[in-house]
Amino acid sequence: MEKIVLVCSAGMSTSLLVNKMKDAAKKQGIEAEIIAVPEVDAKQNTNGTDVVLLAPQVRYLLNKMKQELEPQGIPVAVIESINYGMMNGEAVIRQAMELIKNK
Amino acid sequence: MKAVEQIYQALIMLEQKVNRAVSANEISLAINVDRANVSRYLNRLYEEKKIAKLEGRPVLFHSDKSEPQQISAIDGDSSLDRIAAIQSSMQTPIQQAKAAILYPPKGIHTLILGETGVGKSMFAELMYQFAKESGAVRENAPFIRFNCADYAENSQLLVSQIFGVKKGAYTGADKDREGLISKADGGFLFLDEVHRLSPQGQEMLFTFIDKGLFRPLGDTEKTLSAEVRIIAATTEQPQSYLLNTFTRRIPMLIELPNLKARDLTERYYLIELFIKQESRRIGKSIYAEKNSIIAFLLYDCPNNIGQLKSDIQLTCAKSFVNYKAKKADSILITSSDLPQHVRKGMMQIQEHRDSIEFLLKSKSPTIKFSLNQEQSYEEVNDIQLNEDFYDIIERKLESLKNSGMKNEEISYAINLDIEAHFKKYLGDIPNRMQSKDLSKLINSEIMTAAEEVLKFAEQRLQRKYDEKIYIGLALHLHGFVERIKKGVKIYHPKLNMIRVDYPEGFMAAMEAAKILDGTFNIHTPLDEIGYIAMFLSPKPVEISRHEKSCVGILVMMHGNSTASSMAEVCNAMIGVNHAIALDMPISMNPKVMYELAKEKVIQLDTGRGVLLLVDMGSLTSFGQMLQEETGIMVKTIEMTSTPMVIDACRKAVLSRDIHYIYDSLRTPVVHHVSEGSQEQTGKTGIIITACFTGEGASERLKHILEESLRTENIEIVPLNIMNKREFINKVEQLREKHKILAIASTIDIEIDEIPFITAAQVLAGSGIDKIKDILETEGNYQKIAKSLNKHIKLDSERLVENLRDVLAAMEHRLGLYIKEEVKIGIVLHMCFLLDKLKAGGKETFFEELQDFVKQYSKELAIVRSCLEGLGAQYEVRIGEHEEAYICRMLLSNGDILQEIV
Repeated sequence: MEKIVLVCSAGMSTSLLVNKMKDAAKKQGIEAEIIAVPEVDAKQNTNGTDVVLLAPQVRYLLNKMKQELEPQGIPVAVIESINYGMMNGEAVIRQAMELIKNK
Repeated sequence: MKAVEQIYQALIMLEQKVNRAVSANEISLAINVDRANVSRYLNRLYEEKKIAKLEGRPVLFHSDKSEPQQISAIDGDSSLDRIAAIQSSMQTPIQQAKAAILYPPKGIHTLILGETGVGKSMFAELMYQFAKESGAVRENAPFIRFNCADYAENSQLLVSQIFGVKKGAYTGADKDREGLISKADGGFLFLDEVHRLSPQGQEMLFTFIDKGLFRPLGDTEKTLSAEVRIIAATTEQPQSYLLNTFTRRIPMLIELPNLKARDLTERYYLIELFIKQESRRIGKSIYAEKNSIIAFLLYDCPNNIGQLKSDIQLTCAKSFVNYKAKKADSILITSSDLPQHVRKGMMQIQEHRDSIEFLLKSKSPTIKFSLNQEQSYEEVNDIQLNEDFYDIIERKLESLKNSGMKNEEISYAINLDIEAHFKKYLGDIPNRMQSKDLSKLINSEIMTAAEEVLKFAEQRLQRKYDEKIYIGLALHLHGFVERIKKGVKIYHPKLNMIRVDYPEGFMAAMEAAKILDGTFNIHTPLDEIGYIAMFLSPKPVEISRHEKSCVGILVMMHGNSTASSMAEVCNAMIGVNHAIALDMPISMNPKVMYELAKEKVIQLDTGRGVLLLVDMGSLTSFGQMLQEETGIMVKTIEMTSTPMVIDACRKAVLSRDIHYIYDSLRTPVVHHVSEGSQEQTGKTGIIITACFTGEGASERLKHILEESLRTENIEIVPLNIMNKREFINKVEQLREKHKILAIASTIDIEIDEIPFITAAQVLAGSGIDKIKDILETEGNYQKIAKSLNKHIKLDSERLVENLRDVLAAMEHRLGLYIKEEVKIGIVLHMCFLLDKLKAGGKETFFEELQDFVKQYSKELAIVRSCLEGLGAQYEVRIGEHEEAYICRMLLSNGDILQEIV
């Protein structure tokens, strides 16, 4: 069971992506808990996660979160903007799994 | 030697030395004798006919008593030639006039044609002058002037005036009277408005012209003869029926050009001539603000030179009154002295900018029309004027306001001043003026400060400033520091525009002002920062054009108030008064409406065209005619609705070009595109390559791009830039059917919203990468827009395009650089936001909103103004919290701000 956290600014655009990712995970037989949180709630929700993905518009959080989370062994990355834009759940889940695998 | 003899010798000596007639003052200086005495002896010599005198100011004397110009007049130095030399359009008439006078044996009669006020009587007098100068008539030959219109109601009286009358010829002819034709014997008879002669009078005139014989009215026996040269004049069109007989019977026809047919150089000469005449009359030099001269050069002057002259006289009189009333140092013509219809001339500057610039480029903002003939006009010291610059702006504002000029016009006039100021310092600084020359004028403290400001700005803005800008800024600061130390207020009428349009420059100027504050122990006001920003921004001179460069929006509808209400709603929603309305009540004649529309279109055009938003009927056909008649790019959208007006206006305010707006409105709105029909309906992308010939470098660039891009979807079009305007037209044409992704060229070209890539960049490969990025981005947005269709209810393709516009505007106005991938995220965010709001969703709460608002009030205001139109278009309300989210997203991702944090 992997726990994936998506962060965006107001938590609006990511919720749709979360659903798409869940569908994709199910198809591929991946067991995953995927949640979307707005920027302000990011801190409370990153404990015990396997990977944190940022929406492109909150790219500016990348360095700060990397500093905080990478020592805990949690990889942080920005979602490929085209995949984000096209709400490509499959591609984003692939990106998340890659990150978990390589950590 | 007697004193009078000594003066005579001195005159001859001096005359030989300077090779012209000399004044009493010059002789006085040369032989060190009191001027009053010299003058007295000279006049005595003149009375004794030992020397000749030339009337004028000053009076000049020469030793040769005989007429010195008698021979030279025929070819070269006559009064007619002097006109021809300056007024090229007068060359043919003058050649004709000379031929008419000199034609053997006794010259030929002449008919002068021309509109009212072109100077027909003046020309006739010049012909008379020339006849005397060339010896064709004797020195005391008569010149009789008669206006046939004066007696037009009484044809007998008219004829009798010209040819004389025998007692009893008609009731009231109580004695024999000599006609003007007899009085003019041996000289000239000038008959103005000759077409007013009765048929009988005409016949008599033609008989005289043919045979040199005439008969006084009522006299059947006596046939008189006279040697008279007739110069007839008329305002009738040469082809007119009335003139038919005249043009057949009078051998020489001279047509004088109207003022419109004369070029600006000639018109300037006339203006100069008339102002100098006034200056001589007053006995003082007259100064004129450049703007006033521009107004005189460009205003519509239907009654030609006559009107120009009287308008100038009127203006000079007004300036003279001001000079007296205010006890000023000199007589200065300012725009407030101009009659309203003359002042309107300033509005024409846009169309004549180039020729005016060429004509007046060497003139300072104040032109002197000197009383002294030798230095016809000289410029007032430039540096001194720099100090006056603020005063000029301020005084201008006051005087224009008082003169009842409209705000819009004032802004225009002031703009010209600011432009002139910057042109002067950035455009026209002569190369020979090196910094070391400047150091004589400006103290080193200011020079150093200017240097520091530019050094700072160079680093900050990644831009190089050349010597010209350095000198310009130093001169400007010199004036500024003096003024602020005196505690005088500084005012910048375009402060907000600068702040919004040149955010980077403005921010840099703000910091640079700290250098000044420290050095001079002052507090630099915001208005001054605006001026400094103009120096630091690219192409500061073009600011005024840039500010106004929005497509004009004109709403025209049938009905008493339909158009006005639409425009009102639109303007209220967008917060800018950009949409202009013309109502067409059903009773109004389309012709009247057309004229109104024409006026508005001319008024609204800022060089980027005008979009007509109309409903139906005759209004739909105006666009084409207006474009042909005015030369202004005009496009028409029919069946306009209020949302369309809002959309058009919003895009115009974002300074989108007319084709873009036109296309976006014309595309039918399809709300739900079904999955299957997702074919690319948009324009195909093209890349333009350009060079001077359109064959050499541009073909080569095309080749390189084709090789390296290897894409079939993109067409590459090579063009030539021999003529910049043609080139831009061509590009605009291409834009109608295609999306121009980039222009690559050997020559720097900047067309809004089209990325420019230099040939060097293409060759080095970086340009190709840039184009690849552009293509990729375009492709990505297309894919995103299509896939979004499934998830949101709004028309996603249009929405994405709209949001990209808004985002670009926000980025630009906030002075940020945002990475493309981040922009995709922001666009997505806004897509979902609008979709949510449209579906009635609630605003998302932004924590600590108050603190954020406090800290970023300025940025939030910019974001809000960009979003306003969007909200209006989609009929949703974007709240404070949502604005804050968007604002933070922009600021946090913007590169400039990130560096500071």
